[in-house]
Amino acid sequence: MNLPGWTREPLVHFVALGAILFVALTWGGSPPDPSSRVIKVGASEKEKIAESFALTMGRSPTDAELDQAIDAFVREEVLYREALRLGLDEGDAIVRRRLVSKMDLSASLAAETAEPSDAVLRAFLEDNAERYSGQGAERARVSFDQAFFAREAGARAALGSAEASGEATSLPASIEAANMREVGAQFGFQFSQALAALEPAEDWQGPIQSSFGWHLVRLRDRNVPPPDFESLRGVLANDWRSDQIRQRKERAYDTLRSAYRIDIDR
Amino acid sequence: MRRASTRLALMSAAAMVVTGCSSEPEVEPAQAGSGEDTIELAEFPDRPYWGDTHLHTDNSVDAFGFGTRLGPEAALRFARGEEVTATTGAQTQLARPLDFLVIADHSDALGATRRLYDAPRWYVDWVIGDETVLRWYDMMHESPEQSTRAIGELITAAAEDNVPEAFADPEAAAEGTKDIWNTQLSILDRYNEPGVFTALAGYEWTAMPNGNNLHRVVMFRDGSDKTRQTVPFPGLQTTAFQLWEYMKAYEEETGGRVLAIPHNPNLSNGLMFQMTMEDGSPMTPEYAAMRAWAEPVVEATQIKGDSETHPFLSPNDEMAGFGVQGWDFGNLSLSEKTEPSMYAGSYTRSALLRGLTLEAQMGVNPYAFGMIGATDSHTSLATGDEDNFWGKHTGNEQSYTDRAAVAQNLGTREGRFGWHYLAGGYAAAWARGNTRAEIFDAFARREVYATTGPRMTVRVFGGFDFSDSDWDGDWVREGYSRGVPMGGELVADGKAPSFMISALKDPDGANLDRVQVIKGWLDASGEMQERVYDVVWSDMDTRPRSGGSVPAVGDTVNRDDATYTNEIGAAELRTVWTDPDYQVGQRPFYYVRVLEIPTPRWTLFDAVRFGVTLSEEAMADAVAQERAYTSPIWLTSGS
Repeated sequence: MNLPGWTREPLVHFVALGAILFVALTWGGSPPDPSSRVIKVGASEKEKIAESFALTMGRSPTDAELDQAIDAFVREEVLYREALRLGLDEGDAIVRRRLVSKMDLSASLAAETAEPSDAVLRAFLEDNAERYSGQGAERARVSFDQAFFAREAGARAALGSAEASGEATSLPASIEAANMREVGAQFGFQFSQALAALEPAEDWQGPIQSSFGWHLVRLRDRNVPPPDFESLRGVLANDWRSDQIRQRKERAYDTLRSAYRIDIDR
Repeated sequence: MRRASTRLALMSAAAMVVTGCSSEPEVEPAQAGSGEDTIELAEFPDRPYWGDTHLHTDNSVDAFGFGTRLGPEAALRFARGEEVTATTGAQTQLARPLDFLVIADHSDALGATRRLYDAPRWYVDWVIGDETVLRWYDMMHESPEQSTRAIGELITAAAEDNVPEAFADPEAAAEGTKDIWNTQLSILDRYNEPGVFTALAGYEWTAMPNGNNLHRVVMFRDGSDKTRQTVPFPGLQTTAFQLWEYMKAYEEETGGRVLAIPHNPNLSNGLMFQMTMEDGSPMTPEYAAMRAWAEPVVEATQIKGDSETHPFLSPNDEMAGFGVQGWDFGNLSLSEKTEPSMYAGSYTRSALLRGLTLEAQMGVNPYAFGMIGATDSHTSLATGDEDNFWGKHTGNEQSYTDRAAVAQNLGTREGRFGWHYLAGGYAAAWARGNTRAEIFDAFARREVYATTGPRMTVRVFGGFDFSDSDWDGDWVREGYSRGVPMGGELVADGKAPSFMISALKDPDGANLDRVQVIKGWLDASGEMQERVYDVVWSDMDTRPRSGGSVPAVGDTVNRDDATYTNEIGAAELRTVWTDPDYQVGQRPFYYVRVLEIPTPRWTLFDAVRFGVTLSEEAMADAVAQERAYTSPIWLTSGS
């Protein structure tokens, strides 16, 4: 894995750690102690602030710039602690929304980039076989010939003849190994649904209707692949990931909620 | 100021570590590249592949501010046909999935609104220290309506070149941009599946000097191995020529391919297709060649109006004017009115004509482009269908039931209203299979066409000896072997060109009214001329030409329930047409326009679904004839 240079910056680690700490504290339900009135900006903190400056500006801060940054940091810290002391975070819709979305986000972070193993995905496929049996049908490949008729009577009349020759159309006369989605895209829903109901046979069948008119169909082959792991792997990984995100949010919520007694007047 | 913007970038870097985005899931090699040699290809392009090359997600500076909270992953899942929860909460799904998608977020301030929104207020106040940014920050947090207003102001500021540096400084934002870009490239690879769905990398270059829209969508052929070597090129304070140089450099450095697609020339006040170079000096052959190389295709129709032609430019075209109303009186930000003298530089047909003039002057045609449609949706939902319009942006998704009536002014008081928006178009690409390489190459050779939403199948071949008997055999093979497809060039040989034209209705949509050929040429004195030919239409026996024109097809739309019937029109129209007015020496272009019978627009669906009463004006525009524009075929001298 090739990480960009800034990921090795101690300051970035510091910020990340701070964020993780914040999240952990939030999870733990114990906010930072607002009663402390000591804000320490020692040599190491200054160094970090200076590094932060250098990281973004490509040069070290002047003394004045460093002082300015420290002032901003202190000011924010003082106001933040006083705001907590006054309880300004309570009853503020924006603060509430921010915190709630942070909780949701932190619960699902890991899933967004997780790389599931084959075993995990195979189990996922098994657990969701029904969901992917549909995928199988959708991925079914059909090969057929079709003869087009503007009117039903014309199609029926031609059904008796050995080689159905339809009327002129730009619709393709033969389709080779297309999935049903492609058939739908070219012939429409009505046609693809009717085709799905036919069984492969050597004879012409139909007529079936489309929004173009009527069609005799010689369904030469239908190949329904079983929900095959290899061909589904990418889809499975994507679906697994979105499932995980949803589940983790739910699980995190359930865990937290279980610690509450909730009385709702009915 | 400068420091402020760099710090916005830093915040994103810190956020990256927290979210751990630097470790990307791996994908199959076939998914990660250009898709060459991954699937079996048809001998000829066998069907049009449908896609949207212009979709914005929550990484776009304006889309996020307008309220969108769906990202690239949701956008891809939706385009592939899966159900997605829209930002405003409704479950939504495409009845018919798309075959390909380009996520085209604004390169400027990529992700910046989200970073701003997510920042603590003290940070915006004390570290960024810009009053305007702080005000926007507060508006964004106040309510969706205020947030939309804030973004309107941001767009106006961009048009006036007055964006706070926190948003505008490309170098400062570069780190944040690169993070988002690389993450997006990984997601695209994951959802790119040769033969099933193509996810192309791209972005929007958003230059708009004085509010005049010069935007381009930049689209790559390559997988992340190559696209990671570049980052989106900023639009503010750069020129189109610099963009083309960036594209050239990308190709030289990576061996990849890239092209740019201008959009909304209708909002450029004549600047998109000038007779001069960008700085007003006479156009050089080098400049013209650069443009022709970089921009083979133009987006001719989308949510913010249609750019095919204007009734002022085409007074004899009775079908001109679709999607023009509301868009033709000013530029994008409405900072400058549009004078009729500007139209010729703002519409595609006149640009194709200008290309002929410039070619006659310089020997190079800068405006020999094909045409596509796109959505330009800012909701992460690529919907071009009238009955499934999800709004230009989240501030007018379907939960805003009065959206058709609401002013959409981007910070001004001028009269653009919701109903002026179109539902958006799609691009059709004639390709041999569904891979990045095949779709991109179809664009590069201009074998693509635009629709205003419906998916009619339109095929055109130009040659010199086509006849009706060609329909009896393998006419597609004949088309390719004895002629050129749409987007191609025919070398003149002293004969009138003939065209095999086939149009099938949208298999799940409305019947067709007529097929027209638009011819543009320079007359003997070098004047630009255009003419519209009705070449085949429904019920030709019972609807003969009268007074030189084909009578209207009729109208079956029920205004009370937004329905129509296919009792009029035809399911298929095709013909071989030979130019009856061709004169030896002419070097025209020809493109095909296909018209559907009248159908309800999204505004009528809204009126019925939500019980909203449309204004008289909006009601008059609530039914329209949707259409397709093919790329032209040019007759060249072959030198």
